[in-house]
Amino acid sequence: MPQEYDLTLWISRYDPDTRRSWVQDYRLQAGRILRFVDIFRKINDEQDPTLAWSSSCEHGQCGTCGMKINGKPLLTCELLVENAVRLFKTQAFTVEPLTIAPVIRDLVINMEEAYARVHSVKPYIIQPAPPHPEGDEYRISPKVLETYVDATRCINCFCCATACVTQKNYLGPNAMLANIVRLMDPRETAKQERMDILYSEQGTPRCRTAQACTFVCPKEIDVAHFIALAKEGRCA
Amino acid sequence: MVAKKLQIDSVLRPEVLIIGAGGAGLRCAAEICERRPGTSILAVTKMYSPQKSHTSTAQGGMAAVDPNDPVDKIIYHMFDTWKGSDCSADQNVIKKVCEPAWEQVLWLERHGMHFSRTQEGRIAKRPFGGHMLNFGKLKACRACYEVDRTGKGIMDTVWAESLKHGVVFLNRTLATELLFRNGRCTGAIVLMEENGKFVAVLAKATVMATGGKTRMYQVSSNCRQNTGDGLALILQAGLPVMDLEAVQFHPTGIVGPGILASEALRGEGGILRNKDGEPFMERYAPTAKDLAPRDLVSRHTMTEIREGRGCIHPDHKLPHVWLDLRHIPEHIHKTRIQEVCGFFRRFVGVDPQTQLCPVTPTAHYQMGGAPTSEFGEVQKDAKEIVHGLYACGEFAAASLHGHNRLGTNSLLELITMGRVVGERVAANLHDAEDPGDVPRDAGQHVFPQFSRYLESCGKERYARIRDELCVLMTKKVGVFRNEKNLAEAIEKLGELKERARHTKLAGTSVIMNQELLHFWELDHLLNVSMVIAKSALARKESRGAHYREDYPERNPEFQYHTLAYMTEYGKVTLSRRPIDMSIFEAGGEHYERFAIIERKY
Ligand SMILES: Cc1cc2nc3c(=O)[nH]c(=O)nc-3n(C[C@H](O)[C@H](O)[C@H](O)COP(=O)(O)OP(=O)(O)OC[C@H]3O[C@@H](n4cnc5c(N)ncnc54)[C@H](O)[C@@H]3O)c2cc1C
Ligand code: SF4
Ligand code: SF4
Ligand code: FES
Repeated sequence: MPQEYDLTLWISRYDPDTRRSWVQDYRLQAGRILRFVDIFRKINDEQDPTLAWSSSCEHGQCGTCGMKINGKPLLTCELLVENAVRLFKTQAFTVEPLTIAPVIRDLVINMEEAYARVHSVKPYIIQPAPPHPEGDEYRISPKVLETYVDATRCINCFCCATACVTQKNYLGPNAMLANIVRLMDPRETAKQERMDILYSEQGTPRCRTAQACTFVCPKEIDVAHFIALAKEGRCA
Repeated sequence: MVAKKLQIDSVLRPEVLIIGAGGAGLRCAAEICERRPGTSILAVTKMYSPQKSHTSTAQGGMAAVDPNDPVDKIIYHMFDTWKGSDCSADQNVIKKVCEPAWEQVLWLERHGMHFSRTQEGRIAKRPFGGHMLNFGKLKACRACYEVDRTGKGIMDTVWAESLKHGVVFLNRTLATELLFRNGRCTGAIVLMEENGKFVAVLAKATVMATGGKTRMYQVSSNCRQNTGDGLALILQAGLPVMDLEAVQFHPTGIVGPGILASEALRGEGGILRNKDGEPFMERYAPTAKDLAPRDLVSRHTMTEIREGRGCIHPDHKLPHVWLDLRHIPEHIHKTRIQEVCGFFRRFVGVDPQTQLCPVTPTAHYQMGGAPTSEFGEVQKDAKEIVHGLYACGEFAAASLHGHNRLGTNSLLELITMGRVVGERVAANLHDAEDPGDVPRDAGQHVFPQFSRYLESCGKERYARIRDELCVLMTKKVGVFRNEKNLAEAIEKLGELKERARHTKLAGTSVIMNQELLHFWELDHLLNVSMVIAKSALARKESRGAHYREDYPERNPEFQYHTLAYMTEYGKVTLSRRPIDMSIFEAGGEHYERFAIIERKY
């Protein structure tokens, strides 16, 4: 495998000062194990310091760097050049922001709007169960925890929400998941309120079980499985 | 384009301003809300969302002695922390953090954190480096954890609790200058990146919790945003910072990105090897070998590299040694170290089951920070506090860690000290002075600073200066230090600072201008680096993570905390704060363990 690749990137740009949008090409050479975030940094350092993009942890744990690469929503801090070349069978890539929220500049979006959906499902315990009689922690058997622990791994990167086939009037897969976690959590007693959220017009009726969410989730959570459980009423 | 005149666009008046919405800041917010429902709190963060704060990446666990544990005792935990700190933590703080630890684990659990469980359904615990029973005799099991994402569990819990209580967030918003009136902190000027507006936030109490600050090293486990902003604001205000020389290097960062490869890998039998394949730790530490304390392993790894027995990574062009995991049985690979091994596969394209993994010491944690009282009140000198200003989390130094931190003690500190500060703020709010109007001198620092970035001309390039800074700090103010290197570093830092004045922005918009942000952050990195170097030069001894080749032993003459002030670049004024020894002085049971003891493992 080559050590260096000649890459072409077509990056979506937007300038909030002039409200102009365009696609800009960048050509560069990059080592095989550079991540896409390293490439953006390289572009900033060597060609164009004005290109704006987002990241934070840069190892797949915070969900800040989601973008669409050749149409596929993914975490750009986890995508190595050589893997991208293998996956997409090309050395030319389109880079676009996730489509779940308005763009502020270039690849930076206004996540607040997207997060509002997660907030609306109340990702905390609404009404906690009374504490254990001995006054210490709740008892949750590993078997029970096992049934929903995967759903707790969601980092709200919104890749699933971008891929989801339902784009309108829907909470979206990750907000659904956040509600389902607490439905399955034995410490939550406000189950009826949670069911109401789940079956509301913006909830299960909007999911078309197409599994695009599961397919793109970088944390490999079977999102569609949890939503299907919820539809069948097997969550609480 | 000529830059617009910068000014304060509007004023916000919450009762409490929290700068930094990570684990510490939001635990504090939750405490205030529980004690004083209805308090209006505004929390600002550099991130897209508070949930993205770096606390969410912590892996291993949070230390706490469970009162139901038949063998573990709080006094052991306190002793381990004291010993680990190389006798420079404050004993009043050790007590304040270790005693309520279990209660705070329960707080998290009752508020929805998904701790891993034992078969009986109780919170599970695992052993961790430096945590022992019986004053250093046997391994203790006191790290409570959520699989290998304990930090995420904590972050999600305190974030969701803050939402529940109606804390208001300003995301992608930078604190740029602290405001004072008659010596009392009355808030801060913040810059909202998405609209480029400077807003004065006036509050009765301001809590700083801006987290880690080690992005000035070439390889660092810290996130992109950890550029020492908080410390720079403190220095700018003429206030001191404490013990900045104490930077912890973790021995196994993945070469290049610096991602942490947990101690667990060596715990499961991983062996460090040099370029000739020699398991070099056997030579330096014949008994403990690869499981010697973090600072020792980091130093020996660097010695191998410096003496030419390291390798150069072909892609990252950085020196490293190897971590060998090939002999570890497949089932262990699959069940216990899967996630971390996944990092090697994903980020350096190496399969740890069949290939050697490239690792190098990574800057990980800074024990020092803004000096505070045991209640998290920011200090203006060794004795007096600044009214209205509080600090907690990795940003603060109370100090629990002295010159070396034990794994799992940081998450514990966020939660316990976050709570303590919340309690203090809530108690002080009812008769706290009103912040009044925007101070007349508001913007005296930030506007000239940003105007300078927007107007500066010159041929210097930001990226060059940033890279040179990282190389300099790694080579001369890194794992090993000596007088000559530190003096050279200080001189070079002065040059870099000067060069940074001659960089030109490609675009002068104030809206989401990433390059502008980088200029501002670079200034902070340079400022904090200067204080690290000067503090390290003055401490002519080795203590914890601060290692001086020319003074390799700990020296009782330096039995104090370093306080450093810097209002003009390079002009650092040093002073001291005594180390609290109240457990020892109280003379209770086992008090003799808290004397100035030898640090041997
Ligand atoms: C990879 C890794 C693993 C770790 N594992 C463990 C472990 O297992 N156990 C343990 O005890 N410790 C661990 N630590 C250490 C511990 O996680 C950190 O010390 C801790 O999470 C810091 O929390 P914090 O709340 O102080 O800061 P953070 O969570 O970093 O939050 C800082 C906040 O301040 C904001 N901020 C910063 N600057 C500004 C500004 N200028 N304006 C506005 N907002 C600002 C940020 O946006 C963020 O919201 C680990 C650290 C790392 C990096
Ligand atoms: S399964 Fe439901 S949530 Fe997932 S992509 Fe399809 S419609 Fe969206
Ligand atoms: S479910 Fe997966 S893809 Fe969706 S937000 Fe969570 S982590 Fe991202
Ligand atoms: S930057 Fe955190 S997930 Fe990519």
